Amino acid sequence: MAKRRIAYYLMTIPALVLFFAFHTFPAIKGIYYSFTNWDGFSKTFDFVGFKNYANIFKDENVLNSYLFTFKYAIVVTILINVLSLLIALGLNAKIKFKNFFRGVYFLPNILSVLIVGFIFNYIFANVLPIFGEKIGSAFLSDNILGSENWAWIGIVIVGVWQGIAFNTILYLAGLQTISKDLYEASSLDGASRWREFWSITFPLLASFFTINMVLAMKGALMVFDQIVALTGGGPGRATQSISLLIYTGGFQGGEFAYQSANAVIYFIVIIVISALQLKFLQKREMDM
Amino acid sequence: MMKMKKAIMPVLAGVLAMSMLSGCGSKSDGGASGDAVKIEFFQNKTEAKATFDKLIAKFNSANPNIKVTQVNPPDAETVLKTRVAKKQIPDVIGIGATDTYSTLSKSGLFEDFSSDPLTKNIQPAYLDMLKAQTGLSELNGIPFSTNANGVIYNKAMFKEMGLTVPTTWDEFMATAQKIKDAGKVPFYLTLKDSWTTLIPFNGMEPGVVGIDFFKQRKEGTVTFKDKFREVADKQLQLLSFGQKDMFGKGYNDGNVAFAKGQSVMYLQGVWAIPEIQKANPSIELGVFPFPATNDPSKNKLVSGVDTLLTVSKSSGHKAEAKKFIDFLLQSDNAKQYITEQKAFPAVQGVTQDDPSVADLKPAFEKGDLVDFADHYIPGAMKVDTIIQGFLQKKDVDAYLNSLDTEWDKVANRK
Repeated sequence: MAKRRIAYYLMTIPALVLFFAFHTFPAIKGIYYSFTNWDGFSKTFDFVGFKNYANIFKDENVLNSYLFTFKYAIVVTILINVLSLLIALGLNAKIKFKNFFRGVYFLPNILSVLIVGFIFNYIFANVLPIFGEKIGSAFLSDNILGSENWAWIGIVIVGVWQGIAFNTILYLAGLQTISKDLYEASSLDGASRWREFWSITFPLLASFFTINMVLAMKGALMVFDQIVALTGGGPGRATQSISLLIYTGGFQGGEFAYQSANAVIYFIVIIVISALQLKFLQKREMDM
Repeated sequence: MMKMKKAIMPVLAGVLAMSMLSGCGSKSDGGASGDAVKIEFFQNKTEAKATFDKLIAKFNSANPNIKVTQVNPPDAETVLKTRVAKKQIPDVIGIGATDTYSTLSKSGLFEDFSSDPLTKNIQPAYLDMLKAQTGLSELNGIPFSTNANGVIYNKAMFKEMGLTVPTTWDEFMATAQKIKDAGKVPFYLTLKDSWTTLIPFNGMEPGVVGIDFFKQRKEGTVTFKDKFREVADKQLQLLSFGQKDMFGKGYNDGNVAFAKGQSVMYLQGVWAIPEIQKANPSIELGVFPFPATNDPSKNKLVSGVDTLLTVSKSSGHKAEAKKFIDFLLQSDNAKQYITEQKAFPAVQGVTQDDPSVADLKPAFEKGDLVDFADHYIPGAMKVDTIIQGFLQKKDVDAYLNSLDTEWDKVANRK
């Protein structure tokens, strides 16, 4: 027994040490710096107490980035879940070239976000406008990433296009756990396809729905790479997400401590949202 | 938690890069050259690496007891900051006169050159610029090469349309109007890349308002609201001469489009010229200073320090480090550098003779130079973002207001 316990310790402790050294310790240091006025490289810095935190709440740019990020995250989460569930249903059906399609739909997940971003950047800048001119649409003949009102849609498109792949795989795995007997029984009872989906498929996918909602939401709240590749946060501050604000302000603007405070607050916000989502959705799982 | 990780990643990457650098350093310490003094030369321009290598080889063979090695990492400013945080500062540093330079100078990391004989042959305008930028009484760097920002124009098209180089704002606008009337695009604007909005801003600010403004703003005696209305109006006026979809195009699009003759003028710095020539090697182009006002004597050429050389206070070999700087400043070496790099010299008596920048020569000879205005604005303000937002909304009052509130906010966080 004791021997086996040693083996378990040997498995966990190295991971724990690495996790602490490269994850927990930097996070704690970040919290520490958020109470100082360090700019990221000076030899000396002072403690300023909660001044950074007080300033965050007075900063319109922070509010603006929260509004953008939440607008983006909610739209992306809904779109990803609806679309990937539809795709998963299709890929789970008896269709030709099923494996080929599964491969195609998974492809975006293995491409780097930055590369996808640059490709879409090219499409928005050069391909869509030509198409827009052909069909005579004034709206489509301009690069939508250059418009203050519509640039965020471009980022949503890229985020959804790439995000769907992973969630589709999870839904597909979920669909395969549902026993075929249930569908046979329901077809004997004469249930319609629609009825079948809402009474059998969807309830039995509940736990996959929960995890997909949480993962998609968390991913969307931390949106960063797509924005760097597509708009750099512009035009103006129209597509500046919280992560991007923390990065640009902290590393380019020399306000490391101030943006650390922003990061700490955001960390708490993400924990609260994930916890609420889990609580609400798991309760729903129980009810079903 | 993930958020933290994201914020910490670049730091980790920097630390890794640093440990790799120091690894290289210690290896060469045990090298064959015996008791030669090792000097590490850190510089930020990837384009200039080969040129510096040639100059270093020349220096090393002339000085067998000194061995200079060049370090030129990608994202050099961030690497430099992390090395400073680790207290492993290179002996000789070559960087631009950027916000990084001012902040590091203010933390007292560099030697004071104010009474150093090395400055004897340097254009005084650039020495003053460096001092004004940091606001210190010390001079913490020696200007080596400089750049300029203005209006690039297509000489062949100018000739064809019978246009001359404008020297006042009214002439400038009349020229643009003529081009527009002829059915061509006066300016190819690349507003998707926010930093390019700074070029006309920097071009206008010194003539219309003056660089002194920023000092007074710090003291709180003036506001953007009082002084910047004319700049704002002129910024908007330029938009009416841009191409279609100007908010959707970036710097690279602009270089290619101008090279292919899609616009007659292009608001950019001289650093874009090699890129433009790459897209169209046969283009005939010129550059003129930005005609910001109707008084030609006020329309100075915006030119900043592209590379300055400085020595770390903590270096153990300051005499050798200064010897290397002195070598780079010698006129034949400076000449080689600016010829290969298409830059402008900060060293007196050296000239840039490339025909594409011939129009700028009088300004350099007379010393009619003025610094980039955005170097005086705190980086955390992200003034390029503010300008980009303004050009979309076109609301002058909101723009001037946000310049003032952002300035105060950043100052208050210090």
